[in-house]
Amino acid sequence: MRRITYRDALREALREEMLRDKTVFLLGEDVGRYWNGAFKVTKGLAEEFGDERVRDTPISESAIIGVAAGAAITGMRPIAEIMFGDLSALAMDQIANQVAKMRYMFGGQAKVPVVIRMPFGAGVNIASHHSQSLEAWFMHVPGLKIAMPSTPYDAKGLLKTAIRDDDPVMFFEHKLLYPVEGEVPEEEYTIPFGVADIKREGKDVTIVATLYMVHKALSAAEMLTKEGIDVEVVDPRTLVPLDKQAIVDSVKKTGRIAIVTENCKTAGVSAEIAAVVAEEALDYLDAPIKRVAEPDTPIPFSPPLEQFVIPNEKSIVKAVKEIVY
Amino acid sequence: MKEGTVVQWFKKEGDMVEKGEPLVEVLSEKATYEVEAPASGVLRKILAEEGTDVPVAGTLAIITALDEELPEIEVAVAPPAVEAGKAVAVPERKVEERVERRIIASPAAKRLAGEHGIDLTQIRGSGPGGRIVEEDVRRLIEELKIMPRVREVIPLTGIRKTAAERVSLSARTAPQSTITMEVDMSNAAELRGRVNVSYTDMLVKAVAKALTEHPIINSTLEKEQIKIFANVNIGVAVATEMGLIVPVVRNANEKSLTKISSTLKGLVEKAKQSRLTKEELTGGTFTITNLGMYGVDVFTPIINPPQTAILGVGRVAEKPMVVEEQMVVRSIIQLSLTFDHRVVDGAQAAEFLQKVKQNLESPETLLA
Amino acid sequence: MKLKKEKMIEMYRKMLEIRHFEEKAFELYGQNLVPGTLHLYAGQEAVAVGVCSNLRRDDYITSTHRGHGHCIAKGAQLERTMAEILGKKTGYCKGKGGSMHIADFSVGMLGATAVVGAGIPIASGAGLSIKLRGTDQVVACFFGEGASNQGTFHEGINMAAIWTLPVVFVCENNLYAMGTRQSRVMLIENVADRAVAYGIPGVSVDGNDVLAVCEAAREAIKRAREGKGPTLMECKTYRHKGHSRFDPATYRPKEEVEEWLKKDPVLRFKAKLVETEVLTEKEADKIEQDVIAAAEKATKFAMDSPYPEPEEALEEVYA
Repeated sequence: MRRITYRDALREALREEMLRDKTVFLLGEDVGRYWNGAFKVTKGLAEEFGDERVRDTPISESAIIGVAAGAAITGMRPIAEIMFGDLSALAMDQIANQVAKMRYMFGGQAKVPVVIRMPFGAGVNIASHHSQSLEAWFMHVPGLKIAMPSTPYDAKGLLKTAIRDDDPVMFFEHKLLYPVEGEVPEEEYTIPFGVADIKREGKDVTIVATLYMVHKALSAAEMLTKEGIDVEVVDPRTLVPLDKQAIVDSVKKTGRIAIVTENCKTAGVSAEIAAVVAEEALDYLDAPIKRVAEPDTPIPFSPPLEQFVIPNEKSIVKAVKEIVY
Repeated sequence: MKEGTVVQWFKKEGDMVEKGEPLVEVLSEKATYEVEAPASGVLRKILAEEGTDVPVAGTLAIITALDEELPEIEVAVAPPAVEAGKAVAVPERKVEERVERRIIASPAAKRLAGEHGIDLTQIRGSGPGGRIVEEDVRRLIEELKIMPRVREVIPLTGIRKTAAERVSLSARTAPQSTITMEVDMSNAAELRGRVNVSYTDMLVKAVAKALTEHPIINSTLEKEQIKIFANVNIGVAVATEMGLIVPVVRNANEKSLTKISSTLKGLVEKAKQSRLTKEELTGGTFTITNLGMYGVDVFTPIINPPQTAILGVGRVAEKPMVVEEQMVVRSIIQLSLTFDHRVVDGAQAAEFLQKVKQNLESPETLLA
Repeated sequence: MKLKKEKMIEMYRKMLEIRHFEEKAFELYGQNLVPGTLHLYAGQEAVAVGVCSNLRRDDYITSTHRGHGHCIAKGAQLERTMAEILGKKTGYCKGKGGSMHIADFSVGMLGATAVVGAGIPIASGAGLSIKLRGTDQVVACFFGEGASNQGTFHEGINMAAIWTLPVVFVCENNLYAMGTRQSRVMLIENVADRAVAYGIPGVSVDGNDVLAVCEAAREAIKRAREGKGPTLMECKTYRHKGHSRFDPATYRPKEEVEEWLKKDPVLRFKAKLVETEVLTEKEADKIEQDVIAAAEKATKFAMDSPYPEPEEALEEVYA
């Protein structure tokens, strides 16, 4: 099969959906022809679709989301880009109080098909304001859906689904994934939300990992194979809706689970998944639930500091060995 | 935990204790526990001094009511709590309760055990800190598949439980050896017809007489002291519907054969009706157990603690015997004497058994 | 400005509807029949009616926590508005929104947000939607002078300005943001002056004169509809009641309140209509009696309506 990068897969999804549906348009800081987005995802789209549909905005995160919301409830399908996920804090009222709640508090009258794309994640030495993984914030706000593609295939399929979805979708991309290549078919496809992907089958222990951590988990799994530990890697792909069944089924098979997420451990995504397992699969656990997450610190700048806080293959291997005995 | 070490007594002998009050600190393999007084009363006797090891289910001390009297020597050797005095502090129960509360098993192991009716206390966990994991349960399930299937479970209670505890205590504490000897009962059989006594009556009398001559057998070992009993109290094991019980013929050495016979008859009758009193069941210094009626010739009885020996009696069989170079048919019985090898050697035991034999083969002496 | 007689009578009726609706709501509140809180629009009727009288059904408005007047002016039914305030199943939001979140998408009322200033970029978004879809709709965005100190005011109006979006930003300056008088939080007297910062027209009108509001709004809406971009329109007005609930509004000088009550927009318009012989006193009274009956009918409808089933709380989180 054809291999393309995560970045190109995202761009293909945007392009195909813009061709398919005239109400789809992009807005965000420097997404247009002059910069093509901070990570070049929107390259070439302004040339093809014009500046009206690939719209550079002022540095006004709150209004980017507010405008997207207003457009969405009046018939458009905006795709807003927040240049770095960290900056979503500036737009938090619009995301959490307006976009997320409009449909509900207006008794179902509003349809809010907004996609908010955000690059997340640490590992490129850009310190505390450009490196966080904040999915747990949004997971705590009913009304939002959350997609977190880990591969080019998932990126394209999930983004197309997100754009067609009538609910607001927080679409999290990882900066380190943009240049990663993977198989993506030429033909049209979408990936439904709420369906986890078993990235690797195994019988001894389940690792649930999201976004970039899926790749770390897969390499850790290879290392563990050499020690006779057969790891299953489950990638939920969307956190809301969350494919609880896939996680529970895997735990029923393996009896052990490590949850690997690139966000702070306290009240993080891993905590939620751990709670799901405790509530729905407790009787199948043969060892304590293990969480591999970032310590409760901001992301530091200096490379050794930053590498220390991000979960990696070694910390995953260590955690798994602590529960496989 | 198999045994514990007494670390510290919080009370001394003669102190009043309240039920639930910390009495003694015991160190197990893993932790120290405070053993609480199981009853209120007087701490009459400490049986396990500080620093001594006590087996699980062993007796630490005796608590009695203020006005309760016990023979001095009885107290010293009192076995299980149920029989001696009012209440005895036993660490086992305490530890068991803790173990039940603190079984560490993974939820998966618990689920699997639940599905297969497996008691987790039977499993030693292979996980960290002894956690029982699913694999441990699975292994046991596999083992059980090749084990005989249990049709029915009978809880160990009452007399059976007491018996189990006593034989366990006996087997654990006393190195036991059994010797056997043939006895020609022809004369005894003749006497039996003449004075209307049973072989058992004669056995009790013969043993009582032998014990007076070999007092070392009529004793108990307590720590580093062999205590010889002044009384010769012969327990006679009786099989009842409820189980084996051992009524005691007190001061048998002082009783005539006919008195023994009538006493024993009364005791057996009461035993079968479960009407024996505590006095009739306690204080034995030697035990006779008879399996002859079942056709048994020889067996190895287990000493009834804290006694030093027990005599097993086989069937009376007509056997050819050479007497004065003549082949004659005689009534033969096999006696099996089990003795505590810590207290006596084989020779001493043999001498005693020989005396019993002589008494039975010359039964006239039993009438004296 | 020449308005048709019927148009003016219709505007008068709308103003009365708002006034009597709010009277009923206040009455119900006093009887403890309204859950939660209530921000009454009474006193500001000329703004909503003056602006909305220039809007088509397919035009949009965005509203605020003090939004009953906007809803009614844009054409929402009194019945379903009152039912929503009472938390009833028949309310516009099926009881999920309440007084602060009424919406009626069928008349272009895009909903009230209770976060001060949050509706401004949303209005700009509706404006962008219109522009991208190429229709000639417009958006009227209502907010108070307090909201003009929010970042969203700056971000939202600036975006509408640079993209020439068909939005009229209607600032209802009622002098007080809760208990904070405008002069304590702004050094300028006219919020409309802020328009200069965005390179768009800013107009300030007497918000208690419905005809003045109507005329200014007509100009701004025409400009928007013609694709010439947004206008910041400030309407100086005054709320008759406190901020919410039983706020006695002791922070407002008595003389000031009395002065503003003399400028009651409903009474002024009625006087004007009678004076210009659009209506006789009798006709005006007849209209008012009709409106009072309508408000009572709406109240009865709301009171008679059932509450939603508790489990309905779980519905409509997602499409």
